Amino acid sequence: MEESPLHPFELHELIPISLFGLDISINKAVILMWIVVGLAAMLLVIGGSARKLVPTKLQSLAELLVDFIRGIILDTMGQDGMKFFPLIATLFVFILFSNLLGLIPGSYTVTSQIIVTAVFAVSVYALSVALGFMLHGIKFLGILVPPGTPGWLLPLMIPIELVSQLARPVSLAVRLFANMTAGHTILGVLFGLAIGGGLLIGWLPFAFTIAMNGLEVGIAFIQAYIFTVLSCVYLGDAVTLHGHGDAHAH
Amino acid sequence: MSAGVAMPTSNDPFYAGLGQAVRIGTELLASLAVGGGLGWAADTYLFGSGPWGLVIGLIVGVAAGIRNAMRAAKNWPK
Repeated sequence: MEESPLHPFELHELIPISLFGLDISINKAVILMWIVVGLAAMLLVIGGSARKLVPTKLQSLAELLVDFIRGIILDTMGQDGMKFFPLIATLFVFILFSNLLGLIPGSYTVTSQIIVTAVFAVSVYALSVALGFMLHGIKFLGILVPPGTPGWLLPLMIPIELVSQLARPVSLAVRLFANMTAGHTILGVLFGLAIGGGLLIGWLPFAFTIAMNGLEVGIAFIQAYIFTVLSCVYLGDAVTLHGHGDAHAH
Repeated sequence: MSAGVAMPTSNDPFYAGLGQAVRIGTELLASLAVGGGLGWAADTYLFGSGPWGLVIGLIVGVAAGIRNAMRAAKNWPK
C-alpha cells in the first residue's frame, strides 16, 4: 500500500459534461452534494410535516436543529437577525451535513474542497458589504475607523482595518477547508500505518483512527457552528454598523 | 471524547476551546496572506515598485492579523 494520504481528496470525472466550453462534469463531490441536499431536505420536510405535540424522533431532531440555529442568530444579531434565518439555516445545515457525511468511510467531504468553502465565505461577505452600503450608504465606510482613533493615526489604521476586513472571507473559507482536510489527512495516515503495520502492531494505529473519528465528529459540529456564528457576526456588523462585532459571539 | 447526540459545541468547553484556538490561528494567517497578497499585487500590476509593496503589505498584514486575533480572543469561552 504505497498511497499518498492526500489521494482521497483527488476528484475524477465520472460523467464528463461540457456546456459552452465550461466543464461541468459530474464527480464524486457533486454526487455527495446532491446526497447532502437530499438528506437535509428529507429530515426537515418529513420532520417538519408532522407537527405533533409529542414529537416523533425525526421531528424532535428537526426541532433541535432549528432551535439551535435560532439560538445562534438571537445570540449574535438579536431579534432583527431573524430576517436572515433562511440563509443562515441553509448554510449551517449544508455544512454540518457535508462534514458529517464525509466521515463515513468511502464517502467524500465536500467541504474539503476550498472552492466550496470559498464560494460560501465570499457570498456571505459580499452580502454583508452590499447590505452595509444599502442600509447606511457612504457612512458604511466608517467601519474602517475604530471608535476613539485619534486623527493622526488614521493613515495607519485605515489600511490595517481594510486588510483585516478583507481577511474575513479568507479566514472563513480557509478555516473550514483546512480543518476538514487536516482531519481526513490524519485519518488517512493512521489507516496507512494500520495497514502497513500488519496484525502484530497495526491494531494500535487502527484504534487511534477510531478515537480520531470520534474527535472528527466534534470538529464537524464545531466548524459548522463557527462558520455560522461568524457569518451572523459579519452580517450583524453590516446592519448595526459597529464594525467591531464579535462582542456577542462565543 | 464526549461527542454526544446533542450539539456538543454549545456547552462542551473542550470543543469550544478547540474552536477558539483554531479560529485565532486562521485569523493570523489569513490577514498576513491578504496583506502580503495586496502588496504583491500592487507591486506587480500597478506600480512596479520592486519589493516595497510586498514589504509594507506584509507589515500591515501582521498588524491586522494581530488585531483580528485579539478581537477573537476577547470572548474566550470561560
